[in-house]
Amino acid sequence: MGIVKSSIALIIGATLVFLTFGEVFAGETQKRLTSESVIETIMKRGKLKVGMSTFVPWAMRNKKGELIGFEIDVAKKVAADMKVKIEFVPTAWSGIIPALIAGKFDAIIGGMSVTPQRNLTINFTAPYAHSGMGIAANKNLAGDLKWPEGYNSRSVTFTCRRGATSCSDIKKIWPKARLRQFDDDSLAFQEVINGNAHATVTSHPKPARWVYKHPEVLFMPSTENLTEGNESFGIRKGDPDALNFFSNWIMVHTSNGWLEDRHNYWFKGMDWADQVDLK
Amino acid sequence: MIRNKAPYDSYWIDALVLIAVVFLIVYVFYRVNTVLIYNWDWSFIPGYLFRWDEELQSYAPNLLMKGLFTTIRLAIWSIILAAILGFIMGMMRTSRRLFPRMLSRLYVELIRNIPPVVFIFVFYFFISSQITPLLGLDSISTDSSPITLKVLDFLLGPPELLSNVVSGIICLALFEGAYVTEIVRAGIQSIPKGQVEGGMSIGLSRIQLMRYVVMPQAVQRVIPPLASQFIILIKDSSIVSLISIQELTFLTMEVATSTQRVFEIWVFVAAMYFVISYACAFGFSRLEKRMALHKA
Repeated sequence: MGIVKSSIALIIGATLVFLTFGEVFAGETQKRLTSESVIETIMKRGKLKVGMSTFVPWAMRNKKGELIGFEIDVAKKVAADMKVKIEFVPTAWSGIIPALIAGKFDAIIGGMSVTPQRNLTINFTAPYAHSGMGIAANKNLAGDLKWPEGYNSRSVTFTCRRGATSCSDIKKIWPKARLRQFDDDSLAFQEVINGNAHATVTSHPKPARWVYKHPEVLFMPSTENLTEGNESFGIRKGDPDALNFFSNWIMVHTSNGWLEDRHNYWFKGMDWADQVDLK
Repeated sequence: MIRNKAPYDSYWIDALVLIAVVFLIVYVFYRVNTVLIYNWDWSFIPGYLFRWDEELQSYAPNLLMKGLFTTIRLAIWSIILAAILGFIMGMMRTSRRLFPRMLSRLYVELIRNIPPVVFIFVFYFFISSQITPLLGLDSISTDSSPITLKVLDFLLGPPELLSNVVSGIICLALFEGAYVTEIVRAGIQSIPKGQVEGGMSIGLSRIQLMRYVVMPQAVQRVIPPLASQFIILIKDSSIVSLISIQELTFLTMEVATSTQRVFEIWVFVAAMYFVISYACAFGFSRLEKRMALHKA
């Protein structure tokens, strides 16, 4: 009897102890998660560090050398709402994800489209913009090609910006075509203008603007969106607080129309053109 | 000096070659416009060198000049660090003990036998990310007094870019240090063995031997190759643009993307690099001549 009683007592005791400590541990984990969140770091530092890459009209340098553009507005607004200062960390596009993981900045606000591959390495918030991909082609080379199936041939060459989603879009839509990648969009366009490639794909409104600049060589085989992208903030994995904060920030500014308003200003019109030496 | 009686013997061949070269250059430049459909427009460049500041009512350096200053700072600091590292490693390389020799050999061979781009990526993402937080550079920019900040600004550039510049400097210094090591080793080993043996025979210790016999001569001999390494470093500094150090090449990319005028800006920046590299080469050759006078 004594043994049974004491073992029951022992089991109950052990369970109680376990439960209490379990509670404590859960509480600890929660506290640790919160204190380790990048949101906490930003508030303590009083400054939000944003990684971005120059890409017209998302982010570019005006005549004074300052950064302007759609996502510059977005990042400044996020910082203003958090009541902290903003610091931009201009980063080469091809190294922007490793730089985020290495902690060089708190978030990527860089017009980055969500792709499953990228999502395996970093987390994405809700989308704050939806860009469409457009195409510009060389009149002499591609003028007679049938849209869109005529472009799916080994003799057709496409150009794109290295690491951009347009490269994978081209591979998906025209798997037979050859693809050449450049570090800069201007070079990708120049190659088409020079007649060394048939067409280039990049996000709107760039194709239309280049066609406007070079009407004698370039044309748009289609003005429709080839694909639609979802651009989100990129943050490090394992940070539920940051994911929640940024996603809800985007939700709030989507519903009140602020994001659409800014998007239209930078993407639909050219009111900002005189701030930049855009030729 | 005795003048050669017929110094211009092959004058007409030289002239022919010269004309051919000039013709070729002109032809290539002429051909550019047939393979490249491009409207050249250089007018935007001065604005990116200096801009008119409305608040200060004066001209202020814009992106390209800022980039140039950063490049110069990068070059100067990394050559100082590389020289220190190179001299230590170079002496270890000629040590009689096996361990220092192995250590410096490992360093030199490791860096000389991997591509600079790989080294820079590995260094920046694996190592520099751990070093820069330890140095507490981010807090310097917020906690320091205005005077410290001004000094720092002059020496290392804007405080908010401090950790960025410092990782660039360390990266370049480690990289170039390997080449300096080899230059120093060659300098030390060029001192005739007889001198070392002579020194030892009068009872000099190894340190005294280095200080009074070997180094004074070796330093003089390594100055010219060091100078050329320094000029190489100025140009090599452009590769740190890959890890987003805000120097001339990186900011040029930013301007090129923003203005979408790629060729003008790169040609112009190439000229900027040429001017600073050539100015350095000129300065060093004067220095060499003066040192040669002292020797004679």
